[in-house]
Amino acid sequence: MNKQEIDANQWVDRYGDLMYRYTLLRVRDQGAAEEIVQVTFLAALQAIPSYAGRASEKSWLFGILKHKILDHFREIKKDRLFDLSPEDDPDPCGYDSLGNWQKMPRNWQLDPEKSAVNQELSEKLMLCLDNLSDKYRQVFVLKEIDGVSTEQICNEFNIKPTNLWVILHRARNQLKNCLEIHWFDGKNQE
Amino acid sequence: MGKMMSTLLGLLSLTCQDTSPLISEMMDHRVSFIKRLKIKIHLSMCEVCLYYKKQLEIIRGLSKNLGREDFPVKANETLPQESKQKIKKMIEANK
Repeated sequence: MNKQEIDANQWVDRYGDLMYRYTLLRVRDQGAAEEIVQVTFLAALQAIPSYAGRASEKSWLFGILKHKILDHFREIKKDRLFDLSPEDDPDPCGYDSLGNWQKMPRNWQLDPEKSAVNQELSEKLMLCLDNLSDKYRQVFVLKEIDGVSTEQICNEFNIKPTNLWVILHRARNQLKNCLEIHWFDGKNQE
Repeated sequence: MGKMMSTLLGLLSLTCQDTSPLISEMMDHRVSFIKRLKIKIHLSMCEVCLYYKKQLEIIRGLSKNLGREDFPVKANETLPQESKQKIKKMIEANK
């Protein structure tokens, strides 16, 4: 295979926005996201001599970016407890004394596979993600957006598996409630 | 026999409140056979929890797609101009 061309002068224009959005989704903080993108380009510059050309320039840059995002997570881990604590938001879904839903989940009438690429719904989900607490958002992003395994998350962030499942359940319930308010309730009134 | 069956069903029956965390947990790891059986029995009788399960699957699909490298960038999600200039200068200086 031919070695792929590297053109550092074009990096920012070609990949800057994509890399920034990718990072912002994961770290939420704009300043941190800008810094991570910058550090990634700097690391990439230094790594040019060892670029084997097996991956495209873009995948190679994203590979470095992913490492830098993980470094950032490890950094914030030092001052944040990821395990479940009594201060965390409880399950946002209520139930009556018989254990029935207080607010019945509705039929969203969507196919889970086809709806994954629904742009408008994706944008609503972005907004809803930003309503989660830092801890819930972080755990949800690792598990559901990056597909990191339960085992890895538990090891890396010192969470007990049972607590991880509780956090994910609550985060999903918050997202579901939020989507219901900001998307499905509106759609039904149309 | 009928009495035994109803006792057995009683042991296996869950409320929506019991089922909701299990539906979520089932997405994260393989739960025990008995839990799966209980969920299945509840879902066969409860349409609302089936909707809930589907909602979580929709959120899972959307989240995965949102994480793609190529996901379209909206105008308010672009790398700020000052940052771009700064990085370009840095690249120029470090080449």
